[in-house]
Amino acid sequence: MMILVGILITLSGFVISVLSLALNSNAARLGVVLLGLAVSLFGIIGVLNRAYLKNAIWKKG
Amino acid sequence: MKIVTKSLLTLCFGALCCLAPLSFAQTPAAAPTTAPKAITDADVAGAPVPSADARSKGDPDGSLTGTASDIAVTDTKKGATIGDLVNQVGQNKIAINFVWTLVAGFLVMFMQAGFAIVETGLCRAKNANHTMMMNFMVYGVGMLAYWLIGFAIQMGGVGAVANLGGTPPLNAEHIITLFGKPFGIFGQNGLFLVHRGTYDVSVMVLFLFQMVFMDTTTTIVTGSCCERWKYAAFIISTFFLGAFTYPLFANWAWGGGWLANLGTNFGLGKGYCDFAGSGVVHSVGGITALAVAMMLGPRIGKYERSGKSNAILAHDIVIVLTGCFILAFGWFGFNPGSTLGASGNGSLRIGSIAVNTMLAGMSGSFAAMLYMWVRYNKPDASMSGNGLLAGLVAITAPSGFVNPVASVIIGLIAGVLVCISVEFVDRVLKVDDPVGAISVHGANGLWGVISIGLFADGKRHYGGSWNGVAGSVTGLFYGDNGGQLIAQLLGVATLVGFVFTMSFVFNLFVDWMVGQRVSAKSELEGLDLPEMGALGYPEFELKAEM
Repeated sequence: MMILVGILITLSGFVISVLSLALNSNAARLGVVLLGLAVSLFGIIGVLNRAYLKNAIWKKG
Repeated sequence: MKIVTKSLLTLCFGALCCLAPLSFAQTPAAAPTTAPKAITDADVAGAPVPSADARSKGDPDGSLTGTASDIAVTDTKKGATIGDLVNQVGQNKIAINFVWTLVAGFLVMFMQAGFAIVETGLCRAKNANHTMMMNFMVYGVGMLAYWLIGFAIQMGGVGAVANLGGTPPLNAEHIITLFGKPFGIFGQNGLFLVHRGTYDVSVMVLFLFQMVFMDTTTTIVTGSCCERWKYAAFIISTFFLGAFTYPLFANWAWGGGWLANLGTNFGLGKGYCDFAGSGVVHSVGGITALAVAMMLGPRIGKYERSGKSNAILAHDIVIVLTGCFILAFGWFGFNPGSTLGASGNGSLRIGSIAVNTMLAGMSGSFAAMLYMWVRYNKPDASMSGNGLLAGLVAITAPSGFVNPVASVIIGLIAGVLVCISVEFVDRVLKVDDPVGAISVHGANGLWGVISIGLFADGKRHYGGSWNGVAGSVTGLFYGDNGGQLIAQLLGVATLVGFVFTMSFVFNLFVDWMVGQRVSAKSELEGLDLPEMGALGYPEFELKAEM
């Protein structure tokens, strides 16, 4: 379940970045692209990786 | 520490001494004063040709070979005309560009050998055959996938590539409309290299050069996943990467897709720029490596129960550094070759591109060596090698747009970044990356892409435009309004958000289908016998792990 959530968050970061193209100001575009990038990184590092670390081989001893 | 400080002071003194001779300027050569004379068909037809008698005696000094008699003539009765001459000049230009691009492609192909021995050297002897075989077969599996479908997806709609004499058959891009603008998604011509007229000399040259780039991407993943990746899973995963993931992003960046057209459609600089593939080749490989390595989990013994990371030592540092040299050599094909020519459209920039490449590699290895020396009191060999590769990866995208000083800065940052990133991936993410490929190619590929938005100096004209936008690529530090940087960051967001997801989802499918990871028993024994049926070093005495 966490893996599915992680995939969706990571992909939604990309969608947010693309949506920046609907804006006209470069400053606003920059902000939205960076927001999208941050969301994708959270999806990878904060959700997906954490899901795999929960059952990591080295935790089983 | 003392020795490092002394060394730095000595280097600064040496640099000052080197700068001294720059104060002596050379006198410029005088410009020619006579006006050029128009030539006629009669001049061409009357050009001196060596006699058959003279030629029959041989030509030891080469003065009789390659003359007017070698020009292809359309009407033998009329003799050579200006039209024939002009056609010959055109063909010579394309021939130069063909040879240049093909030889550069051959150099990039040889990088496979460099990657193979770097990765094998960094793993343990008990996995040598398995790691070498993965690196060997990415060539075959990747090429098969790319020939079947990948090339068509990537380049099927690229349009004319002027330096290769145009590639007219590659003219069908699938386009959707978003925000009222056309978004190129994938190419449609070129399946099997015969589909819709793509059995064409220019298309063949383009295929060879692009194919070896794709192969570089696939070989990056094997490094991060070695010593625990099931061979069958590797084959399927590599096929998918060569057939779909790589070509799709490459189309968006190089094949006339939506990222390349961000300048035309949305006024963002010259659109997403990636001269030789920091993003397209290296980040796609590094990010896919992260997805698969995360899924595979670390090697047994890499982490203790407390989460403390253990170093698993390389078995042959000699071949690791030899491999780095082979890669640095091959990179002279990678970056300068990406002009796709040595004649016309600003292609003489190949000199600057080659020098930028070597400078960034130098500063990358230098920075990594110093970082490790200061932090751990020893100049670590494998990280010095990774620093060289990090500098080369980072300069790959900007090499065609920046000056030598920027190249050194980009390489220096890459050399430090790779060390910090390796520590972050190892200790914070706890993702086991035996060769550091996620950091070398993933992190530094992204840095290379971003660096264009900062350091591109706006003085490089490749036929007067880039991605269909007039003018030169210019970064924030050289007066751009930030549009170029945003285009680059959109590329980064696509790599992190889309390419990662695509690679991850497909490899989840592979995991479900055949399982990604070998059994613990096989891993402890070493993968050479269980997976490949033969040891890499049968005469070695291998230590069994408990």
